[in-house]
Amino acid sequence: MRTKNQKIRDFVLSAISVIVLIALWCAVSTSKPDFFPTPMATIERLVKLFEKPIMKVSIWGHIFASLKRVLFAIGASIIIGVGLGLIMGWNKKVRAAIYPIIMTLRPIPPIAWIPLIILLFGVGEFPKVLLVFIGSVFPILLNTISAVSMVDDMYLKVGKVYKANTWQTLHHIVFPASMPTILAGIKIAISSGWMVVVAAEMLASKSGLGFLITRGRDSYDVALIMVAMILIGIVGAALSIVFSFIERRLCGWMSS
Amino acid sequence: MDEQLGTIKVKLRNISKSFYSRKEVFEAVDNISIDVYENEFLVLLGPGQCGKTVLLNMISGLESPTEGTVQFTDNNATDVGFVFQKTAVFPWKTVMENVELPLELKKEDKTERRKRAQYLIDLVGLNGFENSLPKQLSGGMKQRVGIARAYANNPQVLLMDEPFGALDAQTRYQMEEEVLRIWEQEKRTVIFVTNNIEEAVYLADRVIVLSSCPAKVKEIYNIKLQRPRDYVNQDFLRLREAIEKNTDLAL
Repeated sequence: MRTKNQKIRDFVLSAISVIVLIALWCAVSTSKPDFFPTPMATIERLVKLFEKPIMKVSIWGHIFASLKRVLFAIGASIIIGVGLGLIMGWNKKVRAAIYPIIMTLRPIPPIAWIPLIILLFGVGEFPKVLLVFIGSVFPILLNTISAVSMVDDMYLKVGKVYKANTWQTLHHIVFPASMPTILAGIKIAISSGWMVVVAAEMLASKSGLGFLITRGRDSYDVALIMVAMILIGIVGAALSIVFSFIERRLCGWMSS
Repeated sequence: MDEQLGTIKVKLRNISKSFYSRKEVFEAVDNISIDVYENEFLVLLGPGQCGKTVLLNMISGLESPTEGTVQFTDNNATDVGFVFQKTAVFPWKTVMENVELPLELKKEDKTERRKRAQYLIDLVGLNGFENSLPKQLSGGMKQRVGIARAYANNPQVLLMDEPFGALDAQTRYQMEEEVLRIWEQEKRTVIFVTNNIEEAVYLADRVIVLSSCPAKVKEIYNIKLQRPRDYVNQDFLRLREAIEKNTDLAL
């Protein structure tokens, strides 16, 4: 545990580095404020964004649009990644059958899927969610497979001695034992999903933080680009903080 | 056997077990025949790494013998309890959930199994820790949970595989006393595996000394010392020395 003094010290150190960063930004931007807006100009742009919606969608609406896509996609990734991962980790035959396909699909970056998906599904909501899904399902799937195949043999023996059936073994032993690794996979999935959603929105969209960036580029509104980038960073960080909290709640049994 | 030790609970007949790897055959157990009597405290004493755990695994049904048979007197009552070497208590379950697991797997009614589990938790001296997680318990306490869980299965035979091997000496003595107290209160047939001679003599009604690889029955000692036994009593030490001379323990 950190003591109170250490907490204060850490906070001061974080604050100093943020201040230094902003000072550097000031120094760099004052020479060419048209190309690279100053921090003040960026904040002004943010305030204006609250007053004047873009494409009739408020700034909250844009954040929410991106979040919604990510959450749907992550939800689907969790269901399919954990479900398929449990089966593949548990059953060696299923794993042998499917693993080569997974290993070949995994290295294809989501961006490479974009043309194909636009041709097949157009530019609606579904193709964006699908892209984020592609970007987030693999870490969950692979972590689940390896977690399940690495469950301590001792725990499985306990299940066998007390005559647990397959379902009971999965429910009481394999799933909880795999939980920490699965959650670690979900955490990676959320951050990579968040990156993909922005990329997807930059291509064809009328809402979302990625859209704000393209809008900034098209109307030569560099401050808007900066605002959108910073918001992407802040929301992404917030997502991982929220998830760490969930992780601790779900895996409180792990030795600290 | 010149004296009657009670009714036979489990018969091991000509048990052999070999493991095959690509290069060689590893013989773990060679032609062991043992009768295990009802409610006796039987200790299998033998050197490290050889055959003892395999023997317990075969009695519990986790592995089957290459040759020979394991026969329970009553074929419909073959439930065992198993206390493992390392604590195999599930860290994600509370003490209560761990202990009631065997009953839950048998789909027993929730209030019934809670009642039974509570009785066993009290029996092993963990009253007040029902809702604790294993990470909050000491090594000895975790092994108590393991013992309570083994009892929860209402076992015909209680198998204990070097359960106190990982504990420090002080806790180990304490747990040896405890396991006898629990056994006196809830009599079961116990098969206890160890490589510690002192522990064997302290606990056992009978000590079966196994040879080094492959494991064979080397000698059987009936221990008639009064309980509670005293580690420094003359008879205790004499017996201990006799067994020591007769074992392949390289410790």
